[in-house]
Amino acid sequence: MIISAALCPAPPLLARELTGADPVVPELRQACRDAAAGLLRGRPDVIVVVGAGEATATWDGGAGLDVSRFAPGIGQAVRDDPEGAPVLPLPLGLGARLLDQAGYAGPRVLQLVGGDEPAGRCAGLGAGIAGSARRVALLAMADGSARRGPRAPGYLDARSGPFDAEVERAVRDGDLDALLAIDEVLARELMATGRPAWQVLAGALQGTEPTTEISYRDDPFGVAYLVASLQPNHLRP
Amino acid sequence: MTGRVQGVLRLGRHEFAPGKPVVMGIVNRTPDSFYRPGITWDEPAAMDRVHQVIAEGADIVDVGGVPAAPGAEVDVGEEIRRIAGFIAAVRGRYPDVLISADTFRHEVGREACAAGADLINDSWGGWDARLAEVAAEFGAGLVCSHTGGQQPRTRPFRVAYADVMADVLDQTLRLAGRAVQAGVDPERIVIDAAHDFGKNTWHSLEITRRLSEMTATGWAVLVSLSNKDFVGETLGVPVDERLTGTLAATAVCAWQGARIFRAHNVTQTRHVVDMVAAIRGDILPARVVRGLA
Repeated sequence: MIISAALCPAPPLLARELTGADPVVPELRQACRDAAAGLLRGRPDVIVVVGAGEATATWDGGAGLDVSRFAPGIGQAVRDDPEGAPVLPLPLGLGARLLDQAGYAGPRVLQLVGGDEPAGRCAGLGAGIAGSARRVALLAMADGSARRGPRAPGYLDARSGPFDAEVERAVRDGDLDALLAIDEVLARELMATGRPAWQVLAGALQGTEPTTEISYRDDPFGVAYLVASLQPNHLRP
Repeated sequence: MTGRVQGVLRLGRHEFAPGKPVVMGIVNRTPDSFYRPGITWDEPAAMDRVHQVIAEGADIVDVGGVPAAPGAEVDVGEEIRRIAGFIAAVRGRYPDVLISADTFRHEVGREACAAGADLINDSWGGWDARLAEVAAEFGAGLVCSHTGGQQPRTRPFRVAYADVMADVLDQTLRLAGRAVQAGVDPERIVIDAAHDFGKNTWHSLEITRRLSEMTATGWAVLVSLSNKDFVGETLGVPVDERLTGTLAATAVCAWQGARIFRAHNVTQTRHVVDMVAAIRGDILPARVVRGLA
């Protein structure tokens, strides 16, 4: 059953070494570290990291973040699988690093969810995660729209404001149905890459009426970042 | 050529890791230097210039009282009057900034170090061997430069080398060895090919092209390129139009591992050497966000 969950964004700049001499987003990093550390307090049997990527797939936690693809020349290339397994996708690598930073050495599962998976499949994946062990904690790595202003990566789309506001409201209110109802097409058009991960989160928390604490919400570079801790209340068997 | 690895460079109480570019801002206490002659001849103007180069990012303030070119005689007493008191004033205003004394005379070097100089910039290739003793006595650094045997304040006249870089290496490494013998801390010794000194423009282009042979020795390398004649002759431009060419040469030297850059135009030089250092992977970019949000 799910005992706690956290939501963090997954921009490359979350990796401190990628922003050069200037930390750029120290508050965001701290909020993410705190949210991940909070997952440990419930003494989970396993922590599952979920993030969206090309196709649904599972890693069992050995690999780490490879920043060399974003910053060739600053080293740290992770090639720890001699068989040549693909390196971790960004959201999983960042999530794994957050667990490392929190000092978590217990079992972890790294779950990629395909960017095209429909809401129902995402919810089913979440339910499966919640039932995968007696005490499961979930770290969802998910970003809002990347079209929040003229200088945003995807330029301004006026629909991004209401879209992200609704996601934030749903997270704040524990409105899981609203998260599951997020329009996949609109999310794609708004470059809201976190949509499948939000819906996995919603599926994992179904029936728990979670209480949410939002510790960071901002869009310093035109992408909506939301950091939250979600605590289930009424656990149904 | 494999060469020795660059080590730490120490100047004053400062320590510079390999790859960390050091900019030396020029402050002339002369009425007749080639670049903007007389502009900092008055002490208040010279102090304003010090404020400026520090604000623009200079790590070292290089104070000189004698032009490199021939001209009116400046004797020891006059050179000391021009720079020693001024160095003391700079030291008083900036306790932590690095100060270099541009001189080829040990009597002047002694007064400069007593006034607070951290480095003796001997542009005339050890013409006065006792400068090394002064540097050792005060724990100061020493620049060992190549002049091809020219006397101080003389212009090259039909100079020729079988291999100018070989001559540069021979003289500068010999001077560095002599400085070590005299007791100068090897981590405070710097070598300088001395562009234009005892060289025609072809020679200066060649040592620029082959600067990596100097950096491969492991000694810290200083380059003094700023607005010099080899830039002017190469581009066919007068002294006030040499900045772009200077910066191009600066970038080429930085790429090959030069560590100290003596310059009139500090802001631009700082930008060039920091940019090259980041391209080399030696320093971090200031702030990276593009494409990472």
